[in-house]
Amino acid sequence: MNYLLQQIINSLGFGSIVALLAAGYTMTFGLIGLVNFAHGEVFMAGAFTAYFILTILKLPFWLAILMGLVGSIIIGLLVERLAFKPVRGSGMITLFIIGLGVSQILRNSTVMLFDARLKGFTISSFLKGVYMLGEVMIFKKTLFIFLPVLAICIILVYLIKNTKLGIAMRSLSYDTQMAQSLGMNTERVIIITFIISSALAGFAAVSWGYIYGSVHAGMGVYAVVNAFVASVIGGVGNVLGAIIAGYIIAIGGNLFIAFLPPDLVGLRPLFVWIIFFIILIFKPSGLFRANIK
Amino acid sequence: MEYVKRSNFIIKYVAGIGVIIFMLFLMERFLSGFWLTLFMLFGINVILAISLNITNGWIGFFSVGHGGIMLAGAYAAAFFTLPVFFKEGILDLNLPSFILHTQLSFLPALLIGGIVGTVIGIILVLPALRLRGFYFCAGTLGFNIIMETIAENIPEITNGPMGLRQFPPYTNIWWVWGIAILLIYITWMVKKSYIGRAFIAIGKDPDLAEHMGINLLKYKLYAFGLSAFFTALGGILWVHLILNLFPKAFNLILVFEVVAMIVIGGMGSITGSIIGAAIITFFSDVLAPIEEGFSLFGFNVPSMLGLMTVLIGVLLVVILIKKPNGIMGEKEISLGFFRKFLRTKQT
Repeated sequence: MNYLLQQIINSLGFGSIVALLAAGYTMTFGLIGLVNFAHGEVFMAGAFTAYFILTILKLPFWLAILMGLVGSIIIGLLVERLAFKPVRGSGMITLFIIGLGVSQILRNSTVMLFDARLKGFTISSFLKGVYMLGEVMIFKKTLFIFLPVLAICIILVYLIKNTKLGIAMRSLSYDTQMAQSLGMNTERVIIITFIISSALAGFAAVSWGYIYGSVHAGMGVYAVVNAFVASVIGGVGNVLGAIIAGYIIAIGGNLFIAFLPPDLVGLRPLFVWIIFFIILIFKPSGLFRANIK
Repeated sequence: MEYVKRSNFIIKYVAGIGVIIFMLFLMERFLSGFWLTLFMLFGINVILAISLNITNGWIGFFSVGHGGIMLAGAYAAAFFTLPVFFKEGILDLNLPSFILHTQLSFLPALLIGGIVGTVIGIILVLPALRLRGFYFCAGTLGFNIIMETIAENIPEITNGPMGLRQFPPYTNIWWVWGIAILLIYITWMVKKSYIGRAFIAIGKDPDLAEHMGINLLKYKLYAFGLSAFFTALGGILWVHLILNLFPKAFNLILVFEVVAMIVIGGMGSITGSIIGAAIITFFSDVLAPIEEGFSLFGFNVPSMLGLMTVLIGVLLVVILIKKPNGIMGEKEISLGFFRKFLRTKQT
């Protein structure tokens, strides 16, 4: 029982990352039907900015978080302006190929400019160490990431349910043309959505740096695949569903390898795809309701 | 009259095959080293692009999982073509003994690999065919990753991430271009036949096609079978040219290049795929030495690994934005095309 609990608590850190990414993913997915495969690279951009602030310039951690957010937002908006806006409305598959192309461009430029090696993250001293809860061990960094992410998720869900902006987003995801003809500035709403989703990716990126202690150019691939599957499981466009599904995926993945024989540990990437096929074949609309409702 | 027509037909074919054999003979005679390898890589890219075009361009099911099919076919063929001493003595692979003790020549290995690839491709597509549009893309992407992960995690059969070496260098210009031209001929004939028209009808509007009496499942399986067979052949040819096989060989970057070929050339066009293959081969193989850095007039350009993938990505995105149908669209360059072109010039 302790072993099970320990595994669940250990996967909360990665779960927070997947939940944030999936929430950002599902917002653009529901809003303009964009399957943003470049989201993983937006995530990586935030991580690299934070890495420069923390390790190279040796500045305090709150500045790293701030600049990580800024870096992600800049890259996210650039990608939206230069690549996705010109082809908006030309079908999901075109958007998918463009996203794939942009993600290859960004990842390989990062490999080109810096290299593909792991980059160490300086971790502040108050994040080191563990709390003991009976026999269960909780890493301080996991706790310090899990609590803010929980707060962010609550704010996000409130934002989408109750504020004017959230209502605008929901109406846009129901029917773009109708929203436009009722006088809504759809362009503005889309930009704000991209800013929010990129900022979530930026925070997730800094969390990744703190949890794993290093960042590298290929970090976006694995995370974004998990986030994508989480957004499908959660019901496309459903932010709360995506967050819950993100935690489910991370915890499930951890338990999957925790209870397998040790020489099959490399099979971890299979887990998300097995879940993906099962969900799409038996319940194609996801576990929760689709669309931002 | 009938007799004259048939003899014309035969003369056309004999002359065509003769010209092709003569050209290949000249190529083999005068090209060497890098350029010969490059020409063979171009041929392999043509095979991959045209066979991907059958599924992605014609029936409109956008697959990015062909890397998994190549992997399956290549491993299946590799078990038969690897020398016995390497399989049994050095690696001690855990294979059935009749495989361990035989080394086949290239043609049976190609057939075995192709059939395994086809079976795997159809197994892939049966659950995935329930998915539509973009979900199908994502599912096939998953297939790619699943195959790669499995190949990495059964080291007693595939030697894990270390991969297999010591392949006999079977691939030569005759195999590559023979298969490429056979594929071009088959797809050209299929495109003109009932089956090809059914494929394209499914791509345009699946519901309408079904109402016209086309059995969707049957024709999708035909398309995926044909595509998977030739994709697997492409993978096997590649392995026996590079002489190295490891689980990450056919990962997303390779699939991305093949997708770029058909998108740039024009989805649904055979000649477009060939043009796209030529462009991408030029980028990824001719210009590749630039990545390693060079010095120009005493000015040192540092090495930039991944530059070519960036350039291909930029090309792909620009083409999709400026000319969404690619260079050829759905048109073909054929003899009739030239004839029509000349006629419009005269009038």
